[in-house]
Order: sequence, then C-alpha cells, then structure tokens
Amino acid sequence: MKLASALTGLFASRGGGGTAAARLRQPATPAAELDMVLIWAALALLLFGLVMVYSSSIAMAEGSRFTGHQSTYFLVRHSIFLGIGMVAGTLAFQVPMRSWQEAAPWLFIVGVVLLVVVLIPHLGREVNGARRWLPLGIINLQPSELMKLFAALYAADYTVRKLPYMSSFKRGFLPMAAVIIGVGFLLIKEPDFGAFVVITAIAFGILFLGGINVRLFVMLAVVAAVGFVLLITFSEYRRQRILGFMDPWQDAFGKGYQLSHALIAFGRGEWFGVGLGASVEKLFYLPEAHTDFLLAVIAEELGFVGVVTVVVLFALLVQRAFAIGRQAISLERFYSGLVAQGLGLWMGVQSFINMGVNMGLLPTKGLTLPLMSFGGSGIVANCIALAILLRIDWENRQIMRGGRT
Amino acid sequence: MKRARGVTFNHNPLLDKGLPVWRPRFVLLALLGCSIALVGRAAYLQGVNDDFLQAKGASRYARVIDVPATRGRIMDRNGDVLAVSTPVKSVWAIPEDARLQPAQARRLAELLDLDVRELNRKLASEKEFTYLKRQLPPELAERVAALKLPGIHLQQEYRRYYPGGEVTAHVLGFTGVDDHGQEGIELAFDGELVGKPGSRRVIKDRRGHIVEDVESIRLPQEGGDVTLSIDSKIQYLAYSALRDVVKKYKAQAASAVVLDARTGEVLALVNNPVFNPNNRERLTGAQLRNRALTDTYEPGSTMKPFTAAMGLEKGKYRFNTVIDTSAGRMTIGNATISDSHKHGMLTVAEVIQKSSNIGVAKIALSFPPEEMWSFFDKLGFGAPLGLGFPGEAGGRLRPAKTWRPIEQATMSYGHGLSVTVMQMAHAYLAFARDGELIPVSLTKQSGTPVAGRRVFSAQTAREIRAMLEMVVQPGGTAPAAQISGYRVGGKTGTAQKLDGGRYTRRYVASFVGLAPMSDPRLVIAVMVDEPSGKEYYGGQVAGPVFGQIASGALRALGVAPDAPLVPLQVAQQEAPREHM
Repeated sequence: MKLASALTGLFASRGGGGTAAARLRQPATPAAELDMVLIWAALALLLFGLVMVYSSSIAMAEGSRFTGHQSTYFLVRHSIFLGIGMVAGTLAFQVPMRSWQEAAPWLFIVGVVLLVVVLIPHLGREVNGARRWLPLGIINLQPSELMKLFAALYAADYTVRKLPYMSSFKRGFLPMAAVIIGVGFLLIKEPDFGAFVVITAIAFGILFLGGINVRLFVMLAVVAAVGFVLLITFSEYRRQRILGFMDPWQDAFGKGYQLSHALIAFGRGEWFGVGLGASVEKLFYLPEAHTDFLLAVIAEELGFVGVVTVVVLFALLVQRAFAIGRQAISLERFYSGLVAQGLGLWMGVQSFINMGVNMGLLPTKGLTLPLMSFGGSGIVANCIALAILLRIDWENRQIMRGGRT
Repeated sequence: MKRARGVTFNHNPLLDKGLPVWRPRFVLLALLGCSIALVGRAAYLQGVNDDFLQAKGASRYARVIDVPATRGRIMDRNGDVLAVSTPVKSVWAIPEDARLQPAQARRLAELLDLDVRELNRKLASEKEFTYLKRQLPPELAERVAALKLPGIHLQQEYRRYYPGGEVTAHVLGFTGVDDHGQEGIELAFDGELVGKPGSRRVIKDRRGHIVEDVESIRLPQEGGDVTLSIDSKIQYLAYSALRDVVKKYKAQAASAVVLDARTGEVLALVNNPVFNPNNRERLTGAQLRNRALTDTYEPGSTMKPFTAAMGLEKGKYRFNTVIDTSAGRMTIGNATISDSHKHGMLTVAEVIQKSSNIGVAKIALSFPPEEMWSFFDKLGFGAPLGLGFPGEAGGRLRPAKTWRPIEQATMSYGHGLSVTVMQMAHAYLAFARDGELIPVSLTKQSGTPVAGRRVFSAQTAREIRAMLEMVVQPGGTAPAAQISGYRVGGKTGTAQKLDGGRYTRRYVASFVGLAPMSDPRLVIAVMVDEPSGKEYYGGQVAGPVFGQIASGALRALGVAPDAPLVPLQVAQQEAPREHM
C-alpha cells in the first residue's frame, strides 16, 4: 500500500496535493489547463496503433479480394475512425460532467436497446458466428463498445446515488447485479464474452471503489468465479479456447493455432524486434493480426522494447485516470471521481486482458487493444472516454482556481 | 447527489464512510501489478524462451528449397553451341487452396493454353500437388504470376534448347521434363552434364510465397559442358544430303557417318527420318531411331574389300592375281551364288572394282572359317564399338565353327552377317590409316593421338585403297561418287533385304569411301534403306551422297586438293552446293 501511495503521490503532486488545505497553501501559479501526461500517452497509443494497424494489415489487405487488394484498406479506415474519434472527443469534452451524470441512465438504456437490436435477425450483422454489429449505412456500429462507456457512466451515477446503502446487499448491491446480469445475458447472446468481462469489471469495480461492503464484494467475486467456471464448463466453444490457452503446443494446428502463432511472434521479436514491417506472422499465419493480436505483431516487429512501451503507456494512462479520479473525489466531486477511475479501470482491464491473451497468460477471447486495435466503434468510444477524463481533469482545475463548473 | 456536488471546505462524513481512500490505491496497484506481470511474461517469451518459439516458427514457415543447377552445354568441335538450357517456369497448384472464380479459371486456362474443363478437373483433384503446365516461357509465366491467383504457384526450371534442331537431333538426343537425358549424348553424358542442385533456407508466407531468403545451405554446382567431335558444317552437309536422297528416291530411311581418319573422331552422324528436338509432340519411333548406331543391316558388297584385304595380307593373293569368274555362277553345296554380269577373268583389283561375288567368294573359301572370323572380328564386327551411346548395336557375326561353306562364301560379300553404319565406317579406318585401327569417338579428342591396333599391313591397305579408287573410275561400280579437285575411293553395296529368312526385292544401297586418296582424311559411310524406283544400286543412290558430303567436308576442313579441278559430270550437277 505504501508503494501505491508513493506511485500515485508522485504523479498527483503536480495536480496540487489532495486536500483543500494543501490547495490553499500552494502558490497561485497558473496551472496547466489539461493533463499533458495523459494527452501524450493517449496520443502516443493512438498513433502507434495507427502505424501498427497498417503494418499488420498490409499483406492481408493486399491479398484479399474482400478489400479489393488495396494495401491501405485498413490504414485509410483506421485514419477515418481516428478522425471521427477526435471530433467525437472534442464534442464530448464540451459536455459538463453534470450533464453526463444526468444523461447516464438514459445513455445506459440506449445502450441496452442497441444490444437488443443487434440480436434481432436482419438488423444485426453476423461475422464469424458472432452477431455484434449494426450496419448503419457506410459504417458498422458495435454497441458493446459503446456499452463499456455507458456502463462506466451509469455505474458511477448509481454508486453515487446509493452511497448511503453501500453496505446493504439488498439496496446497494442487488439492483446493480441484476442490471449487469441482464446486460451480460444480451452480450453472451451475441456472443461477446470479452465485452461482458470488461463491463462486469467496470461496473463492480466502480461499486467497489464506491465503498461497497468488502465481505459482500468477496462474496460477489466468488459467485462471479463460480459463474465463469460454469459458463466455461457448459460451453464447448469456450472450453476449447481455454484448452488452447493452457497448452497451445498440444494442438498447435487446431485449438492452439492462434495463440501458438502469437507466441511465435513474441519469440521471433526477441529484445529489439525484426524491424517495422518485417513480421512473418502477419503474412496470413496469425489471424486477427490487426485487431485482437496487434500486440503480437508489435512484439515481433519491435521486440520486447515495443511491448514494454505499450505496457508503460497504458500504465501511465491508467495511473493518470486514477489520479484525476482521486483529485475529483478530494474535491468532493464523487461522480466525476468514480467515472474517471471507472474509465481507468476499463482501459487497464481491457488492455491487460488483451495483452495477457497475446502472451498466453489468459484464455483467448475477442477483445481488442484499446486505442490501438483496428475497429471503428472501439476507437470512437475510447476517444470519448479520454475526452471525459480530460473534462473531469479540466473541471478539477477550474474548481481549484476557484471557478465553478 | 446534489449534496455531494460543489466545493465545500467542511469535512464530509460521507467521504470517509463511502469512498475509502485505500480502494483506488488497491485497484491501481493491482493494475500496475498486472503490467509488471505482462512485462515479466514478455521478457520470458522474448528473452528466455525465444529459441524454442523460433524453432516452432521455423517448422511452420521455414522451408528448404532446391536451387536448380544449370545443365551443361553441348558444343561442337568448334565451340558452336548445340544444346543449351534456358530458364522456364512450371505452373503448379495446391488444388485445395486454388478456389478460382469462373472468370479467373478462364483467364488462367487461356494463358496456359488449356481447356477450361481440363483445368477445373485438375484443380478439383484430391491431390495435394498438381502440375498445370510444365516449362512455360518466362514472359508467359510473368503473366500467370501477375494474376495472383490463390493456390497457383510457379517453379523455376530449365528447358533444353537445341539451336541445330533436326540437324543434330539424333546425336544429341534430348532431356525429359526432369532435365535428365533420355536419348543420345544427353543420356550418354548425363553424368557430366547434370549439375548438383543447391539448396537454400527460405521463409514462406502461408500462401507459399517466399518472403525472405534466410541463408544458402549449398550452392548449386553447374553442370559441365561437353564438347563433341561433331563439326556443325559437315553435320549440316550430311544432313541435307541425306534429306535430299531420301526425298529423291522415296527411301524408307538413310544414315551417314563421317569420321576423321586421323583421330577417329565422328565429324558427322545423321539419320533420316529425323525429328525436331525443340518440339517433340507427335513423335514416332521411326523418327527417334539413331539408325547409324542402333540399327543393323546386311552390308552387302561393302564387305568385299575386307575379304580382299585378308587375301592380300595372308599372301595367298596379290593385287594382280587372276581369278576366274567367267561362269557367272558358282555352286557351293546345294546353293548357287551368282554375279549380276558375267565378268570373265578378273584380277583381285577388278573383282573389287566390278564387285564380283564369285571373285571374293573364291578368296574367302581359300581360308578356314576361323581365320576369316578372326579377321572380321579384329575389324570390330559382331560387337558394339563401345562409344557409350545408348542403344548401340553390335551387329551379328556368328561363331566360325557354325559356318557352312555357303555361309562363308556369302559373308565374304556381306550377307549372313549384320553391321551398323558406324561399324562399317570404323572398319574402313583401317584402309585410311595404313592398316591401323583406332577407336571412334563422339567427343573431341585433344592432345595425344590414340594408340592404334594393327589389323593388316600398310602395303595391304595401300593396295586396297588403289582398288577402292578404281571403283569410282570408269569401269567401276560408282563413277557417280567422284568429285572435282580430290581423288576419292570407296566401295558400293547393294544388299537385298531379308524378310522372314527370304531375300526380297527391296534393297539397302550403301557406299563407304575415303577421301582424299593421296592422304586419306575422311571416312564416309552412307546407307540408304529401300530406295524405291528403278535406281537402287549403291553406286547410283549412295555414291553421289558420298561425293556430295566429301566434296563439301574436304573444303570445310581446308584439305588441299590432290586432283585437277576438272568439271566432272557429277561435280557439275552438284555445283550449286559446292560453296557450302
């Protein structure tokens, strides 16, 4: 715990200490308007992601009739998504946190409706056996990506509203659990197991941060664990993925195919990589190289150095999100604080699971690397999340200067 | 919630109760712990376990491929290229991967000159590998590659090209699609010509394209060149002369061999019918046969000089010894042999000049069969010459103890035994070389002359040569073999062909001769199989072919004329060819 406080304290110090008293003691130097560490880390991830999406997709795009043999097919689309994400983020930044909080339940309901719509035949588009996309003219919307954002906004609102009941199972815990089970049901129908895990982590993470009874939480964790085990036991598809993860070399050309190629990519990369663009695994061996297994291509082309860069950038991002959240809470802006930490949890959990899957630490599931992997809805949702983080930080600074939001 | 919003400097009890400070720190620490775990795992995978993983990767996409070696060239004695390997590509497919659109299949079939249905049938097969088309020219292969079709691949190969085409077809033979010799020199010298393919380690993408050249394991060893004894100019002379004679007499086939009398090298070896080695579709066995080496025939009267030589060598006869052939017939046992004309009293020289069967039969019968067999055997009859050429025949010379007198008599003038054209030319080397016989060679000889083997004395050889020269002079059987500027000599043969043990009215016309007579440089043997029409005598059919080849070859070799350049009848006829 000392280490944690030391780490967070290191980064938080520039924000102006934690308490109102500390803030009063500080000289009135003009504070930066925005958290530059967060911005640089996020921009670095976005641009690094763009380069690697291009590198990992170039051969596949060129060799596929589906893309019309255009090598820049994914590069162009990813760039457009980044542009849309930037615009969406700029717009989102204009929205005060008060408005986000007021809209949160409604956004959550919109998200649930979209999750229902995507399951309706003819409306939802099915790719590789998963019905996850809503065709909206030229682009496809992936509701589960938006749902991650809405879940963070809603869970924070819920927690703040229920703060007095945090020790109560019936009034504090049960309603949220019911909602998440409902959403989880819809996600598993798609199926989108990865999104289910992330949304569950966000919702219960925020509940935990909001002070829910620890014993309750441990109980919840046990129930969740049992639930996962049951899900895995009774689903052949997921069990196969689990088996592939335990020992990819046992059935390296069947269940363990994808993971074994990801691991080979890591091995080939060694410390400094085979060089940007020189990956062999991306040449049709590694499926989903530009989405779920982008890190494997980074590992092969840029080596351990590239992987550590990504891990460190995400760690910085998460640390800043928690620092901003702590700042907001110290300013008694509990909703903003929980949203910031919930978004940090989202980035942290999803990036960890994705990277863990790439390295064979976790079972394979369809989760992209936030901010980096190819995928329109994901990138736009990530950009909006970053904009909200920056908005919270900006509001914090306004208050610290004596302003009001 | 409203009570929680805004700034307050009062202590809010909810802060302690509802949002404990340790929880975000705990969560953040847990997430940072995960990051450290990721870094640790990455370090393990990329720094510790990397060899294992790379080996696994290599087993999936590292391949060892052959680097084909170029087959050696075949050249004539002057260094002109007769056979050379040119790069081509073969198109092959992995049927399972080759899922083509109908339009793609049509385009591919068009480029490969295949029927679309045939192509689709090949691509529908269960095999893992199938050739679609072998040995495509490079520019066509480029266009196939440009289609970028899945499952369709190209393979570097070499195709043999023979600049001489038909002219050298039988000597060279050809190679199969696997670039190994199947006939002729290509087969006989396959060991020298074929290179050792090298190998390289490469990385292939999942579609089979080479994306990275890792290392060379073994460099290809290029095949060695073979220099033949053939002289392209003389080869062409012989080729065109045979083509013309076959056409003129509507003959079944013909062969000719030109030897360099000083070295035993084969300067020309041709047959007709012939084939185009560069396009071997619709090939018949008759076209393929290198008759001069693989087919035997009854040589007929071209054997007579050997019988005469035996008589002279053993001292029983001399150049001018008179033999009575006046009866025109001769009965031996219950068989009768005869001459075509009644010649009366003939000297040995005249027996050869006029080709009297009875004359040589009498010489032969004055020797025991063993002695005659031994004499023929020393001349190389009855066994292959050992040129190393595939399918080389040895002819037939039965053991002496089975000979009946009639057989000994007929063998003296070339019936009852069989030879190849090459054997005949080889045996005549003994006359050209003053009684010494050397082996013939299809490859160019360098430096030290081959050691010869004496068959008879120089005196005998000189006397026979004089007789051979008489053959082409007035009163001989082949005045048409004469040429302008050089003294020539030879012996005609007109042998009836055997069919089912009976002689038919079909003939083998032949002529074996030397030139120039003052110092023989060339031995030329010509055989024309079944000339049809009124003219079928060796002197009429094969003699002029000899003259035509000899005349051109002597000039091509720059041999000094040893006779006045008088416009002979034959020379006039052949005048337009002389500049060749």
